[in-house]
Amino acid sequence: MQLYSPLSTTPKRKAFRAPALATIDGMRIGVLENGKLNAEEMLNEVAALFVQRNGCTVRTLASKSNASAPAPSNTLVQVAQEVDFLLTGLGD
Amino acid sequence: MVLCTTPFVVTAKNIARVLGLPDYPFLAVQHPIGSCTLTELKARAEVAYKQALPILLNN
Amino acid sequence: MPAAATTSPRIHEVPDDLLAAIDFCYEQGWTDGLPVIPPVVDRVKAMLAADSRPAETVIAHHPATGLDLSLHAAAANAVMAGCLPEYFPVLVAAFEAMDRPEFNFHGSTASTGGSAPLLIVSGPYADEIGMNSDVNLFGPGNRANGTIGRAVRLILRNVFQMLPGISDKSTQGNPGKYSFCIAERSRGNPWPLLCETQGYAKGTSSVTVFAGGGFCNVENHGGNTPEQVLGSVADAMANYGCITLGQSVVILAPEHMQIIAASGWTREQAQDFLFAHARRSVDGMKGVGKYRDREYETQHGEAAHALAEGGFVHRGLKPDDILITLGGGDAGGHSCFIPSWSRGRGSIMQHAAIANRK
Repeated sequence: MQLYSPLSTTPKRKAFRAPALATIDGMRIGVLENGKLNAEEMLNEVAALFVQRNGCTVRTLASKSNASAPAPSNTLVQVAQEVDFLLTGLGD
Repeated sequence: MVLCTTPFVVTAKNIARVLGLPDYPFLAVQHPIGSCTLTELKARAEVAYKQALPILLNN
Repeated sequence: MPAAATTSPRIHEVPDDLLAAIDFCYEQGWTDGLPVIPPVVDRVKAMLAADSRPAETVIAHHPATGLDLSLHAAAANAVMAGCLPEYFPVLVAAFEAMDRPEFNFHGSTASTGGSAPLLIVSGPYADEIGMNSDVNLFGPGNRANGTIGRAVRLILRNVFQMLPGISDKSTQGNPGKYSFCIAERSRGNPWPLLCETQGYAKGTSSVTVFAGGGFCNVENHGGNTPEQVLGSVADAMANYGCITLGQSVVILAPEHMQIIAASGWTREQAQDFLFAHARRSVDGMKGVGKYRDREYETQHGEAAHALAEGGFVHRGLKPDDILITLGGGDAGGHSCFIPSWSRGRGSIMQHAAIANRK
């Protein structure tokens, strides 16, 4: 017998990582917290280590209004123009 | 750089796979975060920082 | 939603043996742990005939993964769940409602909070397809209730890959994750049906979707005033394990509704009472570690509802955060409260018309 697959027919996606940084020193960091308990504090502690040890600056602090949805495109576009790498969280 | 706690590594890997980057590297720290004291968060931040360095420099 | 770029649905050739086909579905990981009806091509086509739109029409999109739900995939999962074609419009409407960003079906499914989408079908279509709004309302035994709810779960698993332990991280789960679908009872209902209050044209049925965190039986056989009956419901709504700024569903048993209707209470009066009384003191919330400044300020800020009393955290932001209607069998002082997903307003209930698109 013939069975239809119950899976999605959306084509598989391909994506690419951003190129590596030549150095971390002096880079601009964005922090995108997801609104979960202690998320902002956690990410800020990580960012603070980059500031202390690598002379990075924290350029942007943005919050996702919805922890479980992707960040809005305009948030990412804006942040991407202003930072060299972004710190964000997933899950709880 | 995406930070998650260890129970969510499998979730992060699955999302990365579906989005087309199955080998996307994450920062993974001890669970939970929500109930941590500042001291505990700082300790987790150290762990995350050390993991982040080679990922950012891709070496 | 228009058709998106898709690949053709894959066909699996399996031996002509029904039990082997059932085993095949298990091996593929397509089931909820219970055996499924194999999605045989002819049955899927018959299911699709219940909606005249092209099979590749996308009815829901998963922002987290970019995966789409087509009518075709919905039909395959509906067959697997055991649905009849006449149930398909309910399932389609449910996903059209769940697709709205405010419902956040990804978050409510992925979360450690373990909610399941509760479907409440309102209006004549529930009777047309033989749904149960009566005895054993949330229990097994009715094909429409059971299989429509089951199809929702199979779609979340198979189409959107919300797999337990991987993308569905609910700490303990919830029995509603098998199936959580009821009909609103019209017989003996003193209030307008949900489909009427939702503004649909007379004769149009609706499905309301709500990310339900669990099921709390509210038993009261001695109370004989609205205040007593609803007081016990409000207490259930305010239990420390549930109290958040989120929405609520309350299904009143006929015995309880009779008491409320006999005093002439409207739905709005019941909602006001529940909102005012489903509350905990700030000190009490702090005592269990659940007080959040930001949430208290939201509830008591400029947009605060008049019934939100200072010094207290109420369940929800306003009375119409509480969906309340009638359901269940004639006998028994057992109503229920179903809290919203997890810690607050991450999912807001939605509704959609059940369309006849044959």
